[in-house]
Amino acid sequence: MSCTESTVPVKCLKCQAELASPIVCTGCRTLYPPPQSADYFDLLGLQRNYVIDESQLTAAVRAISRKIHPDRFADQPPEMRKLATRLSAEVNQAMTVLKDPVQRAAYMLELAGGPSAAEVRDVPGDLLAEVMVLREQIDEAQSSQDAQVVEQMRSSIQARRAQALEQIASRADQLAAHSDEDKKEFRRLLNSLKYFDNLLEQVAADPLARASGADNG
Amino acid sequence: MAEAGDIIIGIDLGTTNSLVGYSDDSGPRLIPGPAADDDVILPSVVAFHEDGGVTVGHEARAHAVERPLTTIYSIKRLMGKGIADLKDDAARLPYRLAQPDDDTEQRDVAAVVVNDRCYTPPEISAMILRELKVRAERHFGRSVSRAVITVPAHFDDAQRQATRDAGQIAGLDVARIVNEPTVAALAYGLDRTEHATIAVYDLGGGTFDISILRLEEGVFEVLATNGDTHLGGDDFDHTLIDLYSREIREQFGIEIATPTIKQQLRTLSENIKKRLSDQDTARVEIAIGPDKVYRRTITREEFEKMIEPLVGRTILACSRAMKAAELIPEQINEVVLVGGSTRVPYVRQRVAEVFRCRPYTALDPEQVVAIGAAVQASILGGANRDVLLLDVTPLSLGIETLGGAMGKLMSANVRIPCQATETFTTFQDGQTAVKINVLQGERELARDCRSLGVFELQNIPPMPAGIPKIDVTFLIDQNGILNVSAREQRSGKTASVQIIPSHGLTREEVRHMQEEAIKYAREDMTAHHLIDVRAAVEFDLNKAEQMIERYGHLIDDAKRRSLTAAIADLRAFARQTDDPVALNERREVFNRSTTSLAERAMTATLQVDDTDEPESAAKQSSPQDASSPSTT
Repeated sequence: MSCTESTVPVKCLKCQAELASPIVCTGCRTLYPPPQSADYFDLLGLQRNYVIDESQLTAAVRAISRKIHPDRFADQPPEMRKLATRLSAEVNQAMTVLKDPVQRAAYMLELAGGPSAAEVRDVPGDLLAEVMVLREQIDEAQSSQDAQVVEQMRSSIQARRAQALEQIASRADQLAAHSDEDKKEFRRLLNSLKYFDNLLEQVAADPLARASGADNG
Repeated sequence: MAEAGDIIIGIDLGTTNSLVGYSDDSGPRLIPGPAADDDVILPSVVAFHEDGGVTVGHEARAHAVERPLTTIYSIKRLMGKGIADLKDDAARLPYRLAQPDDDTEQRDVAAVVVNDRCYTPPEISAMILRELKVRAERHFGRSVSRAVITVPAHFDDAQRQATRDAGQIAGLDVARIVNEPTVAALAYGLDRTEHATIAVYDLGGGTFDISILRLEEGVFEVLATNGDTHLGGDDFDHTLIDLYSREIREQFGIEIATPTIKQQLRTLSENIKKRLSDQDTARVEIAIGPDKVYRRTITREEFEKMIEPLVGRTILACSRAMKAAELIPEQINEVVLVGGSTRVPYVRQRVAEVFRCRPYTALDPEQVVAIGAAVQASILGGANRDVLLLDVTPLSLGIETLGGAMGKLMSANVRIPCQATETFTTFQDGQTAVKINVLQGERELARDCRSLGVFELQNIPPMPAGIPKIDVTFLIDQNGILNVSAREQRSGKTASVQIIPSHGLTREEVRHMQEEAIKYAREDMTAHHLIDVRAAVEFDLNKAEQMIERYGHLIDDAKRRSLTAAIADLRAFARQTDDPVALNERREVFNRSTTSLAERAMTATLQVDDTDEPESAAKQSSPQDASSPSTT
C-alpha cells in the first residue's frame, strides 16, 4: 500500500468507503500504517477537545480494536499480523494518554509545540513555599494521631490539586494560540501536580501504619 | 467446521491437570483420553522409566510413590525460574533440581535431573503437551499443529516464553498464549448478552490470579489483574505436610527426608485436604516403622487456621485488583470461581466476604479454562468474529537506570499490545555496544525486580560519547511477551539486538530440544507401533493354533508340521525384534501360509453350519474380519 505518509487518507484505497479512523477501514478490514500527521485524537476519530466523554472514548477504542486486534489477523501473513500488533499498541497508547486528565493535558501541550518536562522543570512561583507549609502541617496532623485532622489535611490537598487541574483544563484547548511564556506556565502547572501527588502519598501512607502500630503497642 | 490442516486446539497446561479442547459449530468441547474409561483430565505428571520410556497422566501419577525420583509433577511451578528462585520448593520436592552445566553467571535456569539427565521445565511440559497433541490427533484422525495455550495472568515474560518454548518443543505452533482467568471469563460470558462487570478468582494447584473484566457486546476487556504465580493448592498441602513432619519429629525423633515418604505425605495431604472440603474432620495414620504409627485427627477449623495466611494473600490481591480497576465490590456483578482449589469451603467464604456476593460456581472449575481456550482457538480460526479479548500486562516493565533504579516504561494493568520507545546513547568514545537490563516488577530498585534479560545493542557506529542516538522500542504483544527492536536515529538503520535471557532458553536451545523431542517422539511411536503389531501377531498365532487343533486333520502331516514350526518361529521373532515394520511383514507372510487351512476350516464350518444353525457362520467370520486391519 503506497498510502502517503504525510496526509491522513480520507477514503479507503481498497473499497472507497470513508475512513472513520486513518488506520483501518471498518468496511473491508484493510489496515494502514499510521500517518505521521495523525495524532491520538485522529487515531480514535475524536474531536481535539480537552474535555472528553470517557464512555465515548472507550466505545471508540472498542470499535477500532474489533477491527485491528492481532487476533483478527491470526490467519494472515506475518507482516499483516505485525502491523495489526503495532497499530493496536498505538491505539492502546492513545487510549491510555487521552483517558488520563494529566497525560492528556501534557499531550496537548506537546501537540502545541510546548516545552517538555525535561525542558521546563520548575513550578509556579509560590508553590514551593506552599508545599513546605503543607508538609509541616501533615507532620503535625500525623503526630497528633487524630484521624480526623489527617483526613481534613487530605481533602484540603486534594482540593488544591483539583484547583490546579481546573486551571490546566481551562487553558488546554487554546494552547496553540498562546505565547511561549504561557506554554511554559502550562508546563509549570503540570509539574505542580506531582508535588500534590507526593503530598497525598505522604498523608495516605504513614498515619495508618503509625496509628495501627500505636494501637498494638 | 475448520478446513483441513486448520484445526487450532485449546490447551489448559495446568500445575496439577491439563486438558485439551476445540470448537466446532456446536461450540467448545473437550477431548477425552483414548481408553474407554478416560476422562478429559490428563494429570500433569511425567514418569520416566528405566528403559528410557516416558508416560504421562494417570498412570504416571499412580506410580509417584514407588518412583519419587523419576516421577515429575507440578513442573509448571518451575517454568521460567532459576535455582535461586526455588529454594523452598527444592526442599519439598522428592525429585532433584539442578542447574544445567552450561549456565553462565548471567543466567539461572532450573532443571530437573532424572536418571542422570537434565531436563529443563519446558522439555517436561512439552511431554505433557505432546500427549495432548496426540490425544487431539487421535480424535480428529489427522495431524494437529496449532494451539492456544493458557498461562496464569500473573506469569511474567520468562514464564510465558518458557510456555511458548514448551509448545515449540512439542511440535506445536503456539498461535496464542492467553491468560487463564481471561479465557475463563470467555467460557462464562459467551452466551450472555447483557453488560456486566465480573471478577474471576482463579486458584489452581500452583498459581493464583484475580482478574476484573468488563463484558460488553462480545468484547471482554480486562480492567485489572493481580495474583501470585507461586501460590495454590500445593501450598495448602504443604501446610499439612509441615504439620505431620513437625509432629513426627517431636513424637518419634524421626526426620522425614526420604523421597518415598515425602511423596507419600504429599498424596496423603492432598486427600486430607479434599476430605476436609466435605467433612468436619479427617483422620491420618502414618506407619513410620515397626510399632511406630503416627495418628492424628485434623478438624476443618484447624485446617482453615493453617491456610488462613495463604487465603489472606489472595484476598489482599483481590482488593488491589479492585483498586487498580477503580471499582468497589458493589460494582462487580458476579465473581466466577476457577481452579480446583476453589472447592475449599473456606476459600469460597472469604471470596464471598471480600466481594460481598455469593460466588458463581455453576461452571466446573477444573474445565472452564480449557473450554475458554477452545473458544479463543475459534476466535483465532476466524469462526467467531463477534467475540474479542482485550487483555492487560500484569507487571510494570522498565529498564535498570544508572543508579540501579527501575526506570518504568510501561505500567502494570496497561492494555496490550502496548509499546514504549526510549533513546539510548554511548558513554565512551568509540563505544559500539550498549547493554540494557530489562526488568519487570513493581519495586523501586532494579535488584528487587525480575530481570528479563540483558539486551545488547550491537554494531553501533564508533562515534564520540553521547553522539549515537539509538531508539529502542519495547513492545509487549497480545501474548504478553516482550519484543525489542532498535534503530539508530542518524543512519535510520536497524541495530541488532542480542538477547541474553536471565531465566530462559535461547532460540538455538529450543530448536535443539525440539529436534531431540522429535527423535524421542519417533522412538515413542515405534515403541507404540511395536506393541500394536505384537498384539496383532499374538492374535493371529492363537487363531492359527485353534484352527490346527480343530481342523488340523483336514491337511497333511508335513503341512501341519511346517505350520506349527512357522508359529514357533514367528512367536520367537516377535519376542526378540524391536522393528515393527519387519514384524508386520513376517506376520503377513505367515497369514498367507495359513490361508489354505483357513479356507478348508471355513468350508468345514459351513458344512457343519448348513446342517446346524445358519447364524453361527456369521459369528465365526467376524473375528477374522476384525483381525486383519488392526495394524494398518
